Amino acid sequence: MLAQRSLQQSVRRLAAQQPGRIGITRFAAPAAIATGHAMPQWRQVTTQNVSQDTDILAKQRLHRPVAPHLGIYRPQITWIPSMFNRITGLMLSGPLYLFSMAYLVAPLMGWHLESQSIAAAFGALPVIAKVGVKGLIAWPFTFHSLNGVRHLMWDFALGFKNKTVAQTGWTVVGLSAVTAIALALM
Amino acid sequence: MASIARPMLLRQCCNASAARAALRPSTFRSITPLARQPLKSQFVRDTLPISSRVAAFHAEGRKAILPPLPQRVEGTTNDPVHIPSPSPSHGSYHWTAERVIAAALIPLTVAPFAGASLNPVTDGILCALLVAHSHIGFQACIIDYFPTWRVPGVRKGLNWVLNISTVIVLIGLYEFETNDVGIVEAVKRVWKA
Amino acid sequence: MAALRTSTTRLLQATRVSQPIWRRAFASVEPVGAAGQTTTTANRPVVPESKTSTVKEPVVDKDAKIKSFHIYRWNPDEPTSKPRMQTYTLDLNKTGPMVLDALIRIKNEVDPTLTFRRSCREGICGSCAMNIDGVNTLACLCRIPTDTAKETRIYPLPHTYVVKDLVPDMTLFYKQYRSIKPYLQRDTPPPDGRENRQSQAERRKLDGLYECILCACCSTSCPSYWWNTEEYLGPAVLLQSYRWIADSRDEKTEERKDALNNGMSLYRCHTILNCSRTCPKGLNPALAIAEIKKSMAFS
Repeated sequence: MLAQRSLQQSVRRLAAQQPGRIGITRFAAPAAIATGHAMPQWRQVTTQNVSQDTDILAKQRLHRPVAPHLGIYRPQITWIPSMFNRITGLMLSGPLYLFSMAYLVAPLMGWHLESQSIAAAFGALPVIAKVGVKGLIAWPFTFHSLNGVRHLMWDFALGFKNKTVAQTGWTVVGLSAVTAIALALM
Repeated sequence: MASIARPMLLRQCCNASAARAALRPSTFRSITPLARQPLKSQFVRDTLPISSRVAAFHAEGRKAILPPLPQRVEGTTNDPVHIPSPSPSHGSYHWTAERVIAAALIPLTVAPFAGASLNPVTDGILCALLVAHSHIGFQACIIDYFPTWRVPGVRKGLNWVLNISTVIVLIGLYEFETNDVGIVEAVKRVWKA
Repeated sequence: MAALRTSTTRLLQATRVSQPIWRRAFASVEPVGAAGQTTTTANRPVVPESKTSTVKEPVVDKDAKIKSFHIYRWNPDEPTSKPRMQTYTLDLNKTGPMVLDALIRIKNEVDPTLTFRRSCREGICGSCAMNIDGVNTLACLCRIPTDTAKETRIYPLPHTYVVKDLVPDMTLFYKQYRSIKPYLQRDTPPPDGRENRQSQAERRKLDGLYECILCACCSTSCPSYWWNTEEYLGPAVLLQSYRWIADSRDEKTEERKDALNNGMSLYRCHTILNCSRTCPKGLNPALAIAEIKKSMAFS
């Protein structure tokens, strides 16, 4: 239907624009081409401009997935200790913040957070619990401290070779474990 | 989404296996000599079931906490990204201060282990440095995990929470230092208990 | 329209009836039962397979080293579908040594829809950067692990927007590269009117920096860059920035440093060192960043 109508329209337009020539071109097209009186070409579809193309691209971009990252990256001595550096930092700073804030409001709430009463409460715990709690504080402390030294070394642009990084990394892991156990058993 | 996707996957697998079975009826296979030859090329291994060969992507089983937004590009591809105006207080000075604080913590941490007892002043300095170091650390976490362009409200709120709690912590530690035995001595006391 | 349709169908019918020559002849297969009967009941001997078949099927190799490759697939033509992993198996004896050889072979022989970038196949163009077995590297420089018991997993560069399959969108990366003005900036002409010269010692400072091919392996291995892609420049771009900061011929060193002196562009680097570990060219972006930080420490 549409095709028929468009054909009709284009023929009509042709007739309106070139009233005299239409007869010739219809019946003697080769002659018309030869004499340079060929029908001009009509383009029904408007050409796209460049901005429309970028619109399409922008729409495509919205559907793009993000490639997997943390879940698929191989655990390496570089980023796993770095991750634990942050986690252990939070494990130390978080309790410090919580304790300090609790100490400030303790008189109002009737809590006993003086060092003596905490020590007494801690002393009443069974030995295994004591060692466990100490270890849970000692390992973040030793790891964060030792890795912190490594970070300060890097800030002086030292020890950046891949091999050195791996060596110091494993050294910190081992040393922190040993010292943490020693501290926990103290 | 996953709950919708899984039954669909299952159905596709069933269809696929049914189609394969239909392709190779046992009679055809046993009689015609052509069927005895492998129809597939050699490098396609047939031992794996089709369901495991085309598996839906499950590398991230957990739901992402802060999934990235759909991709948008500012300006045309030929424009450089926006260059922020220089602010050393967030940049180089901040970095230097961070390192100086961290370096200053080393002797104060080592001293009690070396047998030296800290007097109230050095104990107070240790507390202040610890709080400053913690504050910077928390701040780095907030900046890293709550970007301004992604969650501006949460970022602002968390920064306020951090600043206020740091002030409270400083007051609390001051109280502790003045009324109690000091942080090093307290830890020692609890550790020896 | 309806009239048109009926007329064409009528026309088609007419052609079909009047000119049967136009009908294409298809090879027809006899029913299975009939085929069996003819071979068994006829008196002529059974023709061996070698004489009936013109196509030679590949012989099953006894010592074939079959390795499976799990490859990340996502098709932009089906934007609602989720990315998935697809498994391909190859005989390593018939494949080249590098992962890129395997990918090209899969594309040529198994699945032509598999999409990835590649160009030079010798580690100088940086097109084939991807995550192979959990580590970012160039597929053309990465040997296929010969252990056939383990599968190799291939993903696009981590935390990039995926255009298709293994092709990441690098638009932002290049825009960030553009922002550091990666060209010589000088206002004063050289004193003798010839080229801008530097001493051998000055030139040696650029070793380990100018070799960077901008494959984005290091940037996309950096967790900091994953979380702050929009604002943090990433190791590759910072290494390039240091390449111009360290250049003795460049006169805009301070401006370059100022452009980095904010909370995000440079200082999201937390010395995680994935970048140096993964660089397929053996460069050290982390060291370059540390040098920038050190030189800016008191400015």
